[in-house]
Amino acid sequence: MRFFDGHLTVLIGLIVTLMTAGAIVSDGNYLSLFNLQSMAGQVPEIGLLAIGVLLAMCVGNGGIELSGIALANLSGVVAATIAASFFSASQDPEIFSLIFIVVALATGFLGGLLNGLLIAYLKITAILCTLGTQMLFIGLAVAISDGRSVRVGAPGPLYEIGNGLLFEIPISFLLFIGVACIIGFVLRYTPFGMWLMLNGSNPKAAEYAGFPKNKVIISTYTVSGILSSLAGVIIAARTINVKWDYGTSYLLVAILIAVMAGVKPEGGYGRVICVVLSAITLQMMSSMLNFMGLSNFIRDFAWGALLLGFLAIGRFRLLDLINLQKHAISASVRSPHVQK
Amino acid sequence: MKIANLMKTTAFALAAMSVLGFAAPSSAQDTKSITTVVKISGIPWFDRMETGVTKFAEQNPEMDIRQVGPATADSAQQLQIVNDLVATGVDALAVVPMDPDILEGILGRAMDRGTIVVTHEADNQTNTHADIEAFDNNDYGAALNERLAQCMGEKGKWTTFVGSLGSRTHMQWVGAGEENAKKYPGMELVDPNNESFDDANGTYEKAKEILRKHPDIKGFQTSAGNDVLGVGRAIEEAGLAGKVCLVGTGLPNPSTAYLESGAITAIGFWDPQKAGMAMNAVAKLMLEGKEVTDGMDLGVEGYESVTVTPGAGKGLLIVGNGMVLVDKETYKDYLF
Repeated sequence: MRFFDGHLTVLIGLIVTLMTAGAIVSDGNYLSLFNLQSMAGQVPEIGLLAIGVLLAMCVGNGGIELSGIALANLSGVVAATIAASFFSASQDPEIFSLIFIVVALATGFLGGLLNGLLIAYLKITAILCTLGTQMLFIGLAVAISDGRSVRVGAPGPLYEIGNGLLFEIPISFLLFIGVACIIGFVLRYTPFGMWLMLNGSNPKAAEYAGFPKNKVIISTYTVSGILSSLAGVIIAARTINVKWDYGTSYLLVAILIAVMAGVKPEGGYGRVICVVLSAITLQMMSSMLNFMGLSNFIRDFAWGALLLGFLAIGRFRLLDLINLQKHAISASVRSPHVQK
Repeated sequence: MKIANLMKTTAFALAAMSVLGFAAPSSAQDTKSITTVVKISGIPWFDRMETGVTKFAEQNPEMDIRQVGPATADSAQQLQIVNDLVATGVDALAVVPMDPDILEGILGRAMDRGTIVVTHEADNQTNTHADIEAFDNNDYGAALNERLAQCMGEKGKWTTFVGSLGSRTHMQWVGAGEENAKKYPGMELVDPNNESFDDANGTYEKAKEILRKHPDIKGFQTSAGNDVLGVGRAIEEAGLAGKVCLVGTGLPNPSTAYLESGAITAIGFWDPQKAGMAMNAVAKLMLEGKEVTDGMDLGVEGYESVTVTPGAGKGLLIVGNGMVLVDKETYKDYLF
């Protein structure tokens, strides 16, 4: 796999373009530390969901993950309800945060496992299965919370995850990059990653080759569920409250990010670094439109245009020839991101 | 081929540049800016609010005043807009929160950063300098009922509709209505607090049932925005337009036909245009470092003498007298 494929090049180009354009339209305010931090703080929740979609798409069988944001909200609601019934967020912030995170991740694990089991053993198509579980998760979250938002409060450590800075970088963003690196590493260098991708490229061959196919599918959706719940933790930490209908628009945006990143909907190919950059691109673009005070309907239009543009790039391999020249350089100067 | 590809790439980059980069007004540092953030843009209610914001901008040409809102009804999208606005360094935010709880975090950080925060329709918001409500909920409920009693000749059976039993403001309105009706011994409340779930069709069915069960019913007081439409349709189809009274919360444009036919006696609401102006007026006062005091005139119709009390958090709760009750004769002044 070449490092600089079409999508990566275009994404990097876009980010540079957006930074320049943003700086011009806002008199440099767009590149102020506060705004860079603000944008970085907004990326993780949607970025994590998009990585979940990447995993589901890569594993093949028409894989897709529609239950991500619902599971994220459910994790937050369950965790907030359980943690608050045992501890007070203001009196024992550390224990509260710990319990909250553990319960949330456990919920995500179970939700993802459910998806995986249904898809692997009952052979339900992923789109139908995750649509069903999405409704199940929403329903559960509504039932547990009575349809109201559940207050998490601002317990020290949890609040730091959502709003704190480390070396001037939002902690949630560092967490996101860390998780992305781990997933990228696993996909690239472990047998599991290879099974996952090969299962997506050719399920039949994978079966005859004796891959533990069901186990791969189940683990993939479970990891995706855990990523969703991690997004739920970050949402809760940022907004101090959790609610079942938060981020309903994320469902499609997460898929948009994955497709923009060049993940193949038919399975077998997808790069985590592209998903990360794609999430950053979308964030930068919507922030810039907000900076310019343009209508939010223009944002939808611009996203649509971008998506079509990227589909065209994927279809016609527009950048292959330029890359041939760059490839020689990138091979000698290997950047640390290369493992993703 | 190679050149063609290069050109395509360049064209793409240029296209991206032109879509994203075309000139935006860059605000000078000395003009103060107020941005109104609504729940969702492009719906009649908030389009009407925008006319107020525009009006206020015309009255204050030295300030940078505008309104924005998400394209989809999602609190996450609104959160993102507020986030970005705080980062742009806007001087004051006037927010109509989709979900007050979700915005607490960012509004708190905005206040820490020195941004003036004014909210509307969020009397439980803790992180705000001032929350503005158009009217006192009890006064509004009583006023609706008073209009109903007038129409009913102060006697006869009447009933109430609420969006849901969990809707705090709706319950306050009908509660105040019941209180008011106690003044008239001839008025008899039957089967109160029907839940409509703001669904005109469901309300229609329920109203038909009530008309069958109580053929002598004289009045309906409704709460959710679509209730008047459902009940109005039931009254009209039963041939009772003008004979049975219906007073409730509703919007002028959708209610036009029923107001004309007499199926709806009167509708009550508050004018989002005035609410938008009032929010901006308060934000401006606060930017100038002035205090908002009890009985103050904000210079906006319906907010000439506001009640100021401590709010849910450290901020103020400012209540105007902005309720509007219109009937067949007067609705044309408020077409939105």
